[in-house]
This record gives sequence, C-alpha cells and structure tokens, in this order.
Amino acid sequence: MAAGLPRRIIKETQRLMQEPVPGIVALPDEGNARYFHVVVAGPSESPYESGTFKLELFLPEEYPMSAPKVRFMTKIYHPNIDKLGRICLDILKDKWSPALQIRTVLLSIQALLSAPNPDDPLANDVAEQWKTNESKAIQTAKQWTKTYATDN
Amino acid sequence: MIVSSWIVAIFTFHLWNNNNVRKCLFVTLEKLGIMGSCVCKEKTTARSDTPSQTTRNNGRSATDGHLSGPQSETGRSDIESSTSSGYHGSQILVTRTASKKTVRSLVLETLSVIRTLIDNEIEPPQAMIQLHKIAETESGWLDVTKSLIQAIPMKDPLGPAVITLLLDECPLPTREAIVELRKNLGLSKTGPAAPYKECCCQRNLCVLLGCLAEKLAGPNSVVLLSQEVLEYLISNLSMSHPSVIILHSLVALEKFAQTSENKITVTKCLMSLDPNPLIVLESLWHDKDYLKREVGFCARWCLDNLFTSDGRACSYENEDLSKINVMLNCNDVSEYLKISPDGLEARCDASSFESVRCTFQVDSGVWYYEVTIVTAGVMQIGWATKDSSFLNYEGYGIGDDEFSIAYDGCRQRIWYGAHSQPHKHPCWKPGDILGLLLDVDNQTIVFALNGNRLPPEEDLFICARSGFFAAASFMSYQQCEFNFGAKPFKYPPPDFDFKCFNEYGHLSSDQKIIVPRYQKFAELRNVQVKEDSCTLCFDNQADLILEPCGHIGFCSTCALQLETCPICRQEINERREISGKPGKANSVFSIPVSAISKDSSAKGSDSLNPGGIMKDYDSDLKDRTKIKLVHSKRNVDRSETDSNMTSLSFNGAASRVPDLTVNGEVDRSKKTTIIVDNETQNAAMKDSVS
Repeated sequence: MAAGLPRRIIKETQRLMQEPVPGIVALPDEGNARYFHVVVAGPSESPYESGTFKLELFLPEEYPMSAPKVRFMTKIYHPNIDKLGRICLDILKDKWSPALQIRTVLLSIQALLSAPNPDDPLANDVAEQWKTNESKAIQTAKQWTKTYATDN
Repeated sequence: MIVSSWIVAIFTFHLWNNNNVRKCLFVTLEKLGIMGSCVCKEKTTARSDTPSQTTRNNGRSATDGHLSGPQSETGRSDIESSTSSGYHGSQILVTRTASKKTVRSLVLETLSVIRTLIDNEIEPPQAMIQLHKIAETESGWLDVTKSLIQAIPMKDPLGPAVITLLLDECPLPTREAIVELRKNLGLSKTGPAAPYKECCCQRNLCVLLGCLAEKLAGPNSVVLLSQEVLEYLISNLSMSHPSVIILHSLVALEKFAQTSENKITVTKCLMSLDPNPLIVLESLWHDKDYLKREVGFCARWCLDNLFTSDGRACSYENEDLSKINVMLNCNDVSEYLKISPDGLEARCDASSFESVRCTFQVDSGVWYYEVTIVTAGVMQIGWATKDSSFLNYEGYGIGDDEFSIAYDGCRQRIWYGAHSQPHKHPCWKPGDILGLLLDVDNQTIVFALNGNRLPPEEDLFICARSGFFAAASFMSYQQCEFNFGAKPFKYPPPDFDFKCFNEYGHLSSDQKIIVPRYQKFAELRNVQVKEDSCTLCFDNQADLILEPCGHIGFCSTCALQLETCPICRQEINERREISGKPGKANSVFSIPVSAISKDSSAKGSDSLNPGGIMKDYDSDLKDRTKIKLVHSKRNVDRSETDSNMTSLSFNGAASRVPDLTVNGEVDRSKKTTIIVDNETQNAAMKDSVS
C-alpha cells in the first residue's frame, strides 16, 4: 500500500544520498518515493565510455520480495537491451534476491554494459551484428553513445 | 529532480574511470554472486513467474521486459515479416512506412477499440501494435505523433488517455526526432504552426508534450522544453484561451517539471509574470463549468506542490474543515493521485491507474455516499476493504479483485474481481451524480446514476463481510468529487434508512491536513532505523538464523516469505530464533558478511509509525482469500484511519514452511504451529504500536 513508505525504501534512499555509488546517480522522484531517476556512466574501456545513460527505476509494491523494474531511457546499442530500453538481466527476473538493492542492481546493469552477452540477446538484430561483425557492432555502439548519450 | 545529479555524475565519472575502483566493485559483486546475466533463454520460467498481474484491464502494459512477446507474434500480420524469436519481440524492422493516412486511421481505430478493452486476457488491439511498429523508425515516430495530434477528436473522453497509452509503448524517440518534432510544431507565443492551429489539435499537442516530458524525464525533456515551447505553454495559461487548452498546458508544464532543470525554468518564468497566471487560474476551482473547475484544481495543486510561490500559504491552511469528518485518506492512496485540500476531490494526471480509499470504515448498517463526476473518462468508483490492492502500474484498482466492487460509467460496466458486466446506464458526463448505497446487513450494493438505480449487486460479500470503505480508481486526466454527507445529497434513496459517513466519522485536526507531497517525503527521509533491524524490511528486529547456511539478519516476517537464503540462495530448511546476544549470533555466522548486512549498523532512534508493510509474496488472489480469513479478527481493532496494519500476510507463505521453530536453539522439539506464530507476531506488533 502506498500508505507508509516501507522503512527498507527509506533506508536505501538515505544511503544512496549519503554514499552515492561511483559512476551512478539515483535520485528519488519528488512526488513518488518509489520512483528513481537514474544516471549511469558508461564504463571505461567499453563502447559506452564517456556516455551518460538515463534510466528509470521503480520499486513495486512487493519490493524487496520482488525485483525493481528498470528501463533505459537513453537509446543504447546493446544486445541485451531492446528498443524500449528493457533490460535482459537475470537478477531482475528469476534470480532476484531480496538481499539485492537498488545500488547492486544498478552496478549489475553497469557491469552488463562492460560485458555484453550476444549469445543471450534481447535485441536480436544487435546480437546478430555483435556475433557476425563484432568490431562493426562496437563501432555502432560507440556511435550511438556519442549521438544519444553524450550531453553537449 | 535530475539536474543536481549532473554535477555529481561528472564528478563521480572521474572516480569511475579509475580502474581499480571499478575492478574492486566487480570483484565484490562476483563474490556475492549477484553479478547478473541475461536470462532471455529461460523464457518459459520467466513467463510463468509473472502471473496474471502482467496483463491489465486498461490496455496498459508493464514496463517490464519481455511482456510484449505475444504482441509481436500476433501483430506482424500485414505489416511485417519474419523474426527469429517472437519472444524477443519488437525486433521486426519496418521496411515500408505506412502512409500518413493509414497512420491516422490506425490511431482512430485504436481509440475506438480501447473502450471495449475490458478483458485482461485479450491481446492489445492490432492497430496499436501496428502503430508501435511504425514508430520504430524516426520518420515513422514523427508520423505517429503528428497523427495523434491531428486525428484524436475533442469529444471522446478517452482521447487524451489514448495519446498517453499509445506513446507509452512506442520506442524511445531519438534526440533528433525530438528536435524535428519541435521544429514541425512551430510553437511560439502566438500558437503552433498552421496545421495545428485548431483547438482540438492544440489540446492534443499539449497532451503529447506532457507525455513526452514524462517519458523522457531528464536531458531529453530539457531539449524538448525550448524557449519557444515554454513560451507557448505559459502563454496558454491565460483565461482568454479555451479551458481545455489551459488545462493540458498546465498538466504538460507539471510533467516537464519532473526534470528539475525544467522545474526551475518554469517556476522562474511563472514568478516573473505579474500576476502569476496560476494564481489567477486557481480561483476557478469551484467554478460551475466542470472544465474550468479542472483547471482550477490543477492550478491550485501546482501552487501547493510544485511551483510554490513565496508569500502564498498552502491551501490547507485556508480551508475550513470544521464540518468535514471523513475524507479521502491521504495515507491510503497510490502515489500519483492528487487530492484537494478539503480531502474530498481527487484527480489523476499520471499514466497509471491511481486509487484511493476514504478514512471511514463501515462494518454494519446501511450507508450512502455520492460522487460528482467532473470528467467523463474511465473511473471505477465503489466500495473496497483494506485487502483490496492498488496495483496502479499494472492497471488494477477498485473492482479488480475480490475485495472491491466498482461502477464504471464510461465503459458502462460493473467491476468485481477484475471482471466486468455491462450495465444499462448511459455513459456518464460531467455533472452527473453517482449514488452508492451499501447495505452490510442485507448484503446488497446499489449504484444509481442521477437517482436512476441499477439492480442490486451482491458479489462483494462473497469474500468480505465487514471493513468497507468508499474507494475509487482513476485513469489519466480523470477527476471526481466525493460527498460523504458534509453537504446535502442530491439523490438520497428515500426507501432506505441510511447513515452517512460524515455524521459518524471523526478526524483530528492533524489528520485533516493534506500535506503537500514534498513536505511529506522530506519528513519520511528523516526517519531513523534501529541498529538490529531486519536487513530486508528494516521494520522488525532481526532475530532469526537460517539453516543450514547460517545466514542472519532477518526477521520472521521476511524469513517466512523466503524459500531460499537471500544471501547465498541455499534452500532454507529451518528458521531458528537467536537468543538476542549478538556475540553468539556472530559465532554461528560462517559466511562473510555481505555488503547488505552492513546496513543494519545505522544508529538512531526509531520514530516511524509502526507496521511498515510486507505485502504477501504470493499476490495470487486465491492465497489472499486464506489470508483474509486468518486475519479477519484483527479487523475489529482497526481504527478508521489506520492504513498500516492491513496486510501483514505471511501465513500464505508460511504454509510452505511447516517446521518453523521458536527458540529452537534451546529446545528443538518445541515446534510451534503457524497459528501460534501469528499470535506471537500480532503481540509483537501490538508492542511496537504502544
């Protein structure tokens, strides 16, 4: 129920503010304490380096017994992220554990940027490109990062 | 609230480029076994893990990945060809762009079909799927937006909601597409470019701007709100414009303000105007014209919550609430519903399905209240117990489970258990009065529109016998006003000896205050958490050890909802209570403390109200019925405004855990039953209340 905000969420929010995760910003919405505006820095030595990616994160009513819903708002060329920004990541699905937190989820997503997995694709055309011509795929990912994820 | 973060982002970015920091983090993550990986191949499990909740009654779909799988499989019909995996959907490339005319007819088709979407199980309409396909290219996306602006007619009460709905599932636009759209619209102080001058087009384009601002919150929302767009929207706030344009310009500005850079820009712009147009519009909140009244409501809400103006007191401070004894409960409402300062009027401008219950509970007798319909779109208004859940993002509200029933005057249906039956009333329109009568003793519910009654309903009493509240759910841009008896009723049923809430309810002066949202959250954030709290909920004391893995840091409420250890994923055979000595607990602890366990080291006093909620893990409705039975005796203690102790529902999960031991360390043979544990828990809850 939206009644009282569960202490778990309050606690996580406080900690995110006090000890921000390097390379990641997660701020609760002013009007909805279950909705977070997230910015993830593209990991260095990845095609997403120097990009800043905007995501939305929502804590459903069952949280932490069910996983947060996370989605990329910035366009990204990645075999495990589709056009709607949806992410294919096991810990957001069946491998969710209530001991995971907003910060660990976001770190995992950042790690996914460092280690794309074209064998388990969400975006099939991207994955195909990744498998058949990796250097071209990386080039495209870099180009998209420059076009969509770089703030002039 | 994103702007302040950009500075932090740049700063932390440098840190991140330090490889050591990064590697350390990755190593830590890997050790903890929480480094995620892609799960697409496990599609069958993923699907079966997400039960009926993922479909919805309003045609919305969750942002959750993978759910569009079936859409793309059925939706490719004439527009597209092959894809290798239907499951991954949306990968079909649009090779031919439909003509604008086709796009427009698809928009209209979607609009006409949406109204009939009443079954959770059916697929989204073909037209909608095709539009989403078309929008995958940049030019296609621009075509779709243009058609939305030009095709949606003024009259259809679902028009704005359909714009929201269609855009919600469209692929994300590129920055170029946004700039192009902005250029096409040609907005300025004097209005939009020629093709969009019509009042209806302008309304639609304001709705569209608002949706995009919400969807793109962050840098792209800043790109969209150029000086010209801002000037256009602000200039629309003058009373000389049609109310419908004022209204949607205001809502668009509100949505732009979700990005704090925009919020600062908009606030500055409003403050620089004398008089502040919002203060002028605010006076319309009790206007006789319902559209003007919407404008007034929104202007007042913005002034209280968003674009606060120095020297203007919050509305609640000026409101005479002495005669009001029952309100909509601002502690029992989903996140985005807006409630008026007198607690009797509510409105939703979000894309979710927002719900609320009132403060007064009825357990016996005959009761009546009325609702004035302000907007003619989808609202589900009726009765609900506390067991009814508000799943606003999934599109579930009042009438969508076994614990609530609702009247829907737009789609002309009665909702119960997420299913609906048509009724014989005409579509409602602004100014109509919905009368709702509940006879608990004779187990009947009667809905009447302007005094014209429908046959009595009885379904709600299958699962609920007492603990009823007036309740309602709102689709985007919908608004209505409740009368719990503080004002005379328009159509009191003469043949019933009914009571009205306002005569029997009581609220303290503190309880009557509808605190602006930002103040409420500021208060919440100052809450301190106890040192030995459960690391999952932080509500209860961590007093259990999981066997055989030996991990600690959990309370019984949480532990009973788990089948595997949250730290190491080992199956749990037993949950033992620890005798409260930290030293002893540590000695049992055999696996390194996770990063998470550190959270319990926070210090400070405990001041939040008790009973933070752990929702039932199985949101399966059947399970909830059981839970209801076990807890029904607690209803007696529930005060009318208490919204916290509603769903402490671990017994559904507990049925999977037959061997719960209490003080197992002392005596392993002392196995308790689930019922005993419930009582212990109830006692513990009572302690924490006092």
